Amino acid sequence: MKIPVRYNVRSLLVRRTGTLMTALGIGLTVGIVVVMLAMVRGLDMTFIETGDPQNLVVIRKGSANEVNSYFSRALFETVRFLPGVARSSTDEPEAAGEILVVVNHKRKDGSDSNVIVRGTSEMGFRLRPDVRIVEGRNFRAGLRELIVSRALEHRFADLGVGQSVEIDNVDWRIVGTFVTSGGAYDSEIWTGYQDVAQVWRRPIYSAILLRAESLDDAQELIKRISDDQRVQLDALHQDKYYADQTFASSIGLKVLASLIAVIMAIGSCFAVMNMMYGAVSSRQQEVATLRALGFRKRSILASFLVESAVLALIGGAVGCLLGSLFNGYSAGTANLASFSEVVFNFRVTPDILLLGMVFALFMGLVGGLLPARRASKVRLIDVLRQ
Amino acid sequence: MKYLRLLFKNLLRNKRRTFLTMSSIAVSLFLIATLQTLLHALTNPPETPDSALRLVVRHRISLFNTLPAAYRQKIEKVPGVESVVGSMWYGAIYKDPSNFFANFSVNTDQFFQVYPDLKMPEDQKEAFVKDRMGAIAGKNLADRFGWKVGDRFFLKSNTWPIDGVEVTLRGIYEGGSDDASSFYFHWDYWNELMKQQYGEWDQTGTFSVRVQSADDVGRVAEQIDTLFRNSNSPTKTETEKAFVLSFVSMLGDVQTFITSIISVVVFAIILIAANTMAMSIRERSREIGVLKAIGFRSRQVLGLLIGESVALALGGALIGTLAARLIYHALPLAQMTSGFVQSLDVTAGIILSCSGIGAVVGLVSAGLPAWQASRKPVVEALRRVV
Repeated sequence: MKIPVRYNVRSLLVRRTGTLMTALGIGLTVGIVVVMLAMVRGLDMTFIETGDPQNLVVIRKGSANEVNSYFSRALFETVRFLPGVARSSTDEPEAAGEILVVVNHKRKDGSDSNVIVRGTSEMGFRLRPDVRIVEGRNFRAGLRELIVSRALEHRFADLGVGQSVEIDNVDWRIVGTFVTSGGAYDSEIWTGYQDVAQVWRRPIYSAILLRAESLDDAQELIKRISDDQRVQLDALHQDKYYADQTFASSIGLKVLASLIAVIMAIGSCFAVMNMMYGAVSSRQQEVATLRALGFRKRSILASFLVESAVLALIGGAVGCLLGSLFNGYSAGTANLASFSEVVFNFRVTPDILLLGMVFALFMGLVGGLLPARRASKVRLIDVLRQ
Repeated sequence: MKYLRLLFKNLLRNKRRTFLTMSSIAVSLFLIATLQTLLHALTNPPETPDSALRLVVRHRISLFNTLPAAYRQKIEKVPGVESVVGSMWYGAIYKDPSNFFANFSVNTDQFFQVYPDLKMPEDQKEAFVKDRMGAIAGKNLADRFGWKVGDRFFLKSNTWPIDGVEVTLRGIYEGGSDDASSFYFHWDYWNELMKQQYGEWDQTGTFSVRVQSADDVGRVAEQIDTLFRNSNSPTKTETEKAFVLSFVSMLGDVQTFITSIISVVVFAIILIAANTMAMSIRERSREIGVLKAIGFRSRQVLGLLIGESVALALGGALIGTLAARLIYHALPLAQMTSGFVQSLDVTAGIILSCSGIGAVVGLVSAGLPAWQASRKPVVEALRRVV
């Protein structure tokens, strides 16, 4: 025979203060874990959601990313005219040669960081249709004009439209702000290819972004470029290229998050145990009465486990609620692959919330097990004698 | 003092509850100690008397821009400069790309004048300087990868367009301001490989400058930057410490993040401890009535209860932080975290501050229930049945 759950809920309500405090304790633990997962998820998604498999990123062989890559202009012409590269309506190959430099700049709080400046062309915009100018206008090539992502403008000093920044003894004017659908380009400054190549005296390309005619052509091009010993280049699907960047940026945070989750879970289990032992000892007579009424030991064990689980789930719900408040919270850290700023938003997704509830349930069951066992072992005769 | 016995007897009356509460406080303080240590390590790079005499010269735009190797001779001529070493990040890949470690090609002729804090047998120093394909590694790094003097290995680079370098380990150093975790080999060797690739090269990343006296640091730094202000490669010179901290500042919001977690954890343990104290005080209300009936004053009762809670929390805090200290000393952290964390030293200062947190938790958590209990009229306390 089962003891109704209502009995447990009422019992929890009787000990309101204790229930509330323990639930809040579990809630904070779950909340921290949810926020940390949301942060790691946000950072990962920034990279994972960037790019299209039909686009290819071409970089120098052996360099882990665009920032470390450079090759001669002649190679761009070779790659651009390979068969399989899509053509525009004017029969121009859809390939953009770009140059990347990293610039030291101050954040609004005065701390130092690095920012990627990408020298690109009209084609660069066409290959990334989600990049939109939301304030001001696009840069004009050759005039030392910059456009800045909205996310960077929020975090860094002096990057608003109309302001100028001095980089390498040259004044650059910011003429526009752009947004993307939330990928890696959201942490960049863009200008014309020639502007960067001239000011930095580097007649080279860092990377080529190109569009293949089809996914099969993309595969074909990857083989062709990567296997060609003479060019020493590597081609990757654009989405894969960015997905590869996630490891370096978030591994540290992941290790930290799991460490904190494990330690806090142990602490919370102890708290649940404490609370449930208290419940068991103050309700000895009740338990004995239940036994006298004919409830089995097993039912009593189950009942206390359910009570502990309900307690933990209330905490879990509180934690998920607290954690959800951080959805969309914007933060920045260094992409350790390129040592430059990456701005990202925390993302609280349904699976993270589910994980939070499972985590809470786990703490409730582990913490409740021993006290429930004890309750089930209460001997009728001992209690009645008191 | 004479109440101490009573206080401890009270703590031992419900051993399980004391154990559980203490454990959850210990586990939480273990976490706080870990986070504080991490934060401390991030914001206070290890300093030696020699590192205070070192300046680092880098390109003004960012670390990604190289400097002409010929700057070395010009910097040497600045009054107050003792010796100069050029060094360049190599980006070595040892077995797995995720094996992160610091590795540089350096000028070896004055290397040990600039870095006298690297402790190494003289014959090893000599062997390293003499062998153009020689290398040295810090003891912690060598232990991590199981390297021994005389080992030969091939290191690819993820940064430079060369096949790789083949080096022989000529020495293992201890000490230094890098926690004996870096790897150095000859810049000449690397430069030659770069020349084969590019025709001309002679570039380096940074210069480490040793100045004669600490009073000169500011002036020398200024003079070096003035020297190159109007050249193609302007410089930024800062102390070694500031240079290291600029990497930390790139991590951005990580510091804020760790601090917030610490505060939430503190709040969570206050809840847990308060819950326990409330439980134990409620159970004892009759006993408190008796104490007062036999002449104890409210103040004494309050002191006893709070003392009990503080002893409990402080005990837990000490156990947690000391455990952290012992565990982190025993674990091979660098290996476990692929080099992201070299070592965690839970210092006396951190143990002290964590004990402080423990004491405050004890004080705050017992405050309200103890005050209520001590103020309760004797008659009411005695009447109440637990």
